[in-house]
Amino acid sequence: MDHRPQAWGRPRDDVYGAYDASYLQTTGPKTATQAPVVTGTSVIAIKFKDGVVMAADNLASYGSLARFTDVKRLRPFLSTSIVGFGGDVSDMQFLDRHLNELAIDEAYEHDHAETPSPSDDSTTTTQPPRGQLNAANLHKYLSKLMYRRRSDFDPLWNQILVAGLDSASKPFLASVDLRGTTFSSPSLATGFGAMLAQPIMRRFAATEEDAAKLTREQAVDVVKECMKVLFYRDARSLDRYSLAVVTKDGVELREDEQLEKQSWAFAERIRGYGTQTV
Amino acid sequence: MFRNNYDNDSVTFSPQGRIFQVEYAAEAVKQGSVVVGIASKTHVVLVAIKRNAEELSSYQKKLFPIDEHVGIAIAGLTSDARVLSNFMKQQCLGHRLTYGRNMPVRTLVDMIGSKAQINTQHYGKRPYGVGLLVAGVDEQGPHLFEFQPSGMTEEMVAFAIGARSQMARTYLEKNIDKFAECGRDELIRHGLRALNESLVQDRELTVDNTSVGVAGAVRASEQDGGSIAVEPFQVYDQQDVAAWIESVAEDKEGDAGAGEGGDAAGEGMDVDS
Amino acid sequence: MTSIGTGYDLANSIFSPDGRNFQVEYAVKAVENGGTSVGIRCKDGVVLAVEKLVTSKLLKPNANKRIATVDRHLGVVYSGMIPDGRHFIERARDEARSWRDTFKTPIATADLASRMGGYLQAYTLYQSVRPFGITAIVGGFDSTAELPVDGEVGSGPSVGAGGKVAGKTHGGPGLYMIEPSGLYWGYYGAATGKGRQAAKAELEKLDLGGPGGPALTLEEAVKEAARIIYVAHDDDKEFELEMTWISGSDGPTKGLHQEVPKALREEAERLAKKAQEDKVDE
Repeated sequence: MDHRPQAWGRPRDDVYGAYDASYLQTTGPKTATQAPVVTGTSVIAIKFKDGVVMAADNLASYGSLARFTDVKRLRPFLSTSIVGFGGDVSDMQFLDRHLNELAIDEAYEHDHAETPSPSDDSTTTTQPPRGQLNAANLHKYLSKLMYRRRSDFDPLWNQILVAGLDSASKPFLASVDLRGTTFSSPSLATGFGAMLAQPIMRRFAATEEDAAKLTREQAVDVVKECMKVLFYRDARSLDRYSLAVVTKDGVELREDEQLEKQSWAFAERIRGYGTQTV
Repeated sequence: MFRNNYDNDSVTFSPQGRIFQVEYAAEAVKQGSVVVGIASKTHVVLVAIKRNAEELSSYQKKLFPIDEHVGIAIAGLTSDARVLSNFMKQQCLGHRLTYGRNMPVRTLVDMIGSKAQINTQHYGKRPYGVGLLVAGVDEQGPHLFEFQPSGMTEEMVAFAIGARSQMARTYLEKNIDKFAECGRDELIRHGLRALNESLVQDRELTVDNTSVGVAGAVRASEQDGGSIAVEPFQVYDQQDVAAWIESVAEDKEGDAGAGEGGDAAGEGMDVDS
Repeated sequence: MTSIGTGYDLANSIFSPDGRNFQVEYAVKAVENGGTSVGIRCKDGVVLAVEKLVTSKLLKPNANKRIATVDRHLGVVYSGMIPDGRHFIERARDEARSWRDTFKTPIATADLASRMGGYLQAYTLYQSVRPFGITAIVGGFDSTAELPVDGEVGSGPSVGAGGKVAGKTHGGPGLYMIEPSGLYWGYYGAATGKGRQAAKAELEKLDLGGPGGPALTLEEAVKEAARIIYVAHDDDKEFELEMTWISGSDGPTKGLHQEVPKALREEAERLAKKAQEDKVDE
């Protein structure tokens, strides 16, 4: 009997014949992304009567290190939709380039846009051509893409929110994650936001009917409040953030918002960790 | 006898810069029975004459639905048309699956155009021997396209291809200004009248030899988003086309006196025989 | 024609004893039968124009466009066999996309012309294919400003991209014409198709290649392009004029390839018709 440790637990040669070592792969199995590396935290969004408000902070973390502090995680698409990315930042950049190519292809389909005459400049953003990919179409596309990648065992490590209008020009908000799971709701949040921000947003928009009563200002206020709560409670967050409002007039995106009126008084009362002596 | 050396394949230019094989393929379209298409602001129709090989055989179908919002009419080699039709169906389904919307009609037509062009540039391939009229609706409204074996695709207000189609085109050119404002039935009747022009002397439109296809697009008001509600492409045959045929037959009879028959209800006439 | 009956013109990629590829020359004939295309490179952009002959009254007016966009900042117009032109455009779009995939930046006009020149040349090399029956004019405006890299989500290093020479400017308008042989040159003003001779004669009168660069402005170029198409047009046929333009990011199209606004096009056509009439009167 072979008592060397290498033979432990193996079928005995004298019983089963010599083991075919060609089955042993020296290279190991093919591996793809198994964990995100540089990450963005929560993305939150809420519908209101004319559109959707979305926000995400400008931080990309490397583990617990706040590595990049000016990362724009809300990406407009065709100036009619907004896509918010949580999770791996390099996968977000890959998707951003991919969506840029998709937008170029989509423009080919509606080629021959006329240069707007200068006199139109004063008015609001020009209407997109009819039949352009809307947020619902875009979300469908992204969900197919994400599901395909997870089925290839090479997922894009992101949680994504897509906001804009659907084919009936009604506000649209939906999510898709690295598993290709899709979800739609009057308010949505990814990551920590799903625990901390979602309950707050639901107080204002529990149902589609509630959301349809919210004004733009109310929706923006709710989102700003949520961003503040997230900054208080989420250690991987930042007080600089991006805020997007998407309506039928297009996307308004501000990428250098600052949390206002913070109050850290509550921190005094937190007990149970740190250097407290009492 | 003069022997044309430049017409054996689709990869040889003649000294005048022509490709005879492609031109010959266009002749195959003229062998097929005539089909007519017309678009208005709200609808697009296809009408066709079907042929039967012999008295007791069935009639070859001429109109094919591609997707909810698109249909085609064919003239030429039916089997080539099926290749293109299957391709178009797959593209439409794929587009619906990935984007959740109807494929824009121009995009679809460009795809078969590119596919056909490849066959005119590579040795060992031959051009498709079929012409199509593609009718469809999308967010822009109704569209009518002509597809040729060369890969040429053009958007038309109205068109006819197939045997003796020049007569139908002449009718369409004469009436072209009327089509935009036509309603559904009126547009179909214009199609049937154009078809009538292309018939040989002793033939007439019957419920057996006539097919009608329609798709429509109703635009919601701007307040409701201005989106399009699609009336799906549907093919009508047999008794379903009887009333339309009658109504054009009537205004033909009254033609000597009244000129245009308008929208006769098409009742009281015997459909049989 | 000396080529006919020699047998050297019956297949592509065959040299005749005096070193010609007749099939390529025949492809050029296909171009010479097509509607005239014109491209003008001017001070602040590029204008493309094409004469579309109306072959049937039943064609939907203004619906069948012949000038196509490639990426966002490039335009392509062509004369000759239209399905071949569509193939050309599809390939150009693929090239522009693969350029972005590799370099994360839009393709320059010169690079696209080079890629497409190579593509057309390949179709003169084999008996199994035929050359393209088109001559294409590619116009574009390569950004003069520092562009963000595709997928850039932060500000990046404050020094920007490397490899720059102080004081050297980059980008600007570009215009190239590619023939069925794959040959291409850069042009100040380019014309092809049936009316190319007349069009070239008119282009040569314009101030496009002076030592300080072209003097013609974009709006003037639009009007000249329209006039040239009218001059090159064979009077008894009906046609549609299609025009596009590309300016820098500070110009009217903001660096994009777009259709010339209807009002400006109609004004240009009005002036073109007037110029025609004045000429007849003389």
